[in-house]
Amino acid sequence: MKGLNTALGAAGLAAFLALGEVVPRVGIVKEAYFPPTSRIASAFWDELQDGAFWSALGDTLTGWALGLAIAVGAGIVVGVLLSVVPHLREATASTIEFLRPIPSVALIPLAVLLYGTELRSVLLLVVYASFWQILIQVLYGVQDVDPVAEETARSYGLGTWARVRHVLWPSALPYVMTGVRLAAAVALILTITAELVIGAPGLGATIAVAQTSQAVPEMYALIVVTGLLGLLINVGARTVERRALAWHQSVRGEVAV
Amino acid sequence: MRRLLVGLAAGSMLVAASACGSSGNGASDNTGSSTGTTTVKVGVIPIVDVAPLYLGQKEGFFSKHGLKLSMTLAQGGAAIVPGVVSGQFQFGFSNMTSLMLAESNNVPVKAIANGVASTGVSGKDFGALVVKKGSTLKSAKELEGKKVAVNTLKNINETAVRESVRKAGGDPDKVKFVELAFDQMPAALDKGQIDAAMAVEPALTTMLNQGAQQIAWPLVDVAPNLTVAMYFTSTAYATKNPAVVKKFQEATAESLAYADAHPDEVRQIVATYTKVPASVLAKVILPKWPADPNRSSIETLEKLSVTDGLFKTAPDLDKLLP
Repeated sequence: MKGLNTALGAAGLAAFLALGEVVPRVGIVKEAYFPPTSRIASAFWDELQDGAFWSALGDTLTGWALGLAIAVGAGIVVGVLLSVVPHLREATASTIEFLRPIPSVALIPLAVLLYGTELRSVLLLVVYASFWQILIQVLYGVQDVDPVAEETARSYGLGTWARVRHVLWPSALPYVMTGVRLAAAVALILTITAELVIGAPGLGATIAVAQTSQAVPEMYALIVVTGLLGLLINVGARTVERRALAWHQSVRGEVAV
Repeated sequence: MRRLLVGLAAGSMLVAASACGSSGNGASDNTGSSTGTTTVKVGVIPIVDVAPLYLGQKEGFFSKHGLKLSMTLAQGGAAIVPGVVSGQFQFGFSNMTSLMLAESNNVPVKAIANGVASTGVSGKDFGALVVKKGSTLKSAKELEGKKVAVNTLKNINETAVRESVRKAGGDPDKVKFVELAFDQMPAALDKGQIDAAMAVEPALTTMLNQGAQQIAWPLVDVAPNLTVAMYFTSTAYATKNPAVVKKFQEATAESLAYADAHPDEVRQIVATYTKVPASVLAKVILPKWPADPNRSSIETLEKLSVTDGLFKTAPDLDKLLP
């Protein structure tokens, strides 16, 4: 089954690439603005030989990883805190619902004013966007704690910390992992966007330079890189999720009695 | 795993805290290091116009004056002006209209060195009004009722195009201006989404390669040898660091003169910080880099901008210009 899925996935990608080759060649779109796959591939190959490309990739990955780590850390701590302190959740619920839909890119002028085109500008946007993904999942996860288990822990005299550690956290972990997976993708999008718009060093800024330079195949090659990066990050996040939840029924695939 | 996650969470909080805590106040005062060289951050745009700075750095004009430039490529003026005002960059590159707009809005900026100028030659300028290959439009006058793309509405290029239309005997108010980034103009013109575009290099060469026709040279129409852009700093930085500003002015003047005299080296250096394809770069029309801004051309640009209603209050050029 797994082999079939991989084969289908590869076939789909191959068909897509073939379409990308044919469409500009037969003139449905102009080659000048949408180069065929082979031209993009050769530009991609040239990029791989370029030291500047690798340092841009490094900058992007740094922004992504750091931003995600901060968002995950802060999201978990704040989420658990809001859940275990009575009234705090109610007091913050409306504020969270107010802040959450604000698009991170709307904060770009603020980021530029505070930190210019540095990494910190990128982090501001990345953390803001991915923090909510984690926080909301943590809040949902905590709500999902089995009241019987919670009561049992209480009657056995477990303290707050022990209950967070042994009851709340294992129940919430599947939700947290979903949050991390979503946040990982969002963080990548925001890293690239911040670099693209603000000009902070990274793949996004390189795409912007290629755009203003009229270097169309190079621009698409870099866009392909960001796509591949997204793919890798998703695969990575799923692997981490499976490992962390190896004990959970959703991964074990058998119904717990 | 759980321990690891908890540790990770705690660690990232620490990172967040220290990242916010340390050196939160920009880099406006990092002058005078042990070597006697001052590193200044300059916000620039990845285009041909700023080549003299890169060339001057390479030729040692800046190090001779005890300056080291740290060039930051911003995506556009939108990130440069706030960056300079907030002290993230010590210097920035911006077009004259944006600087005058800033001054008229009491944004504390001070133009200090010449940036780039139009060649002043019709038919051979780095910016031109172009129409699609085979278009029936032959002059700027015929743009009445037509869709013309400029990179930013209510800015230098719109003012310039309006002047071209006016000079050709047309009514600029009848032209429909749309905002489009330079790099998107070739495709938009080709597909007929716009009737004409005010393009600058390297988009201009790309379009000409595809058969587009030039019908007017708006920057030339505004004034002979129009000063298009300048380097600027914040008034706060200029007041606090007059010595650094003076060094920057002197080194920039040398760099501009050098760039003007060595077009081949300009093309070579542009390839290091942009990705302009070699085939395009060889054909690109280079701007002019006089050492001093042309005050009378800036006054003309100001007058036209006032006519077009760009300013609520006219900028004070005595305060803005060096």
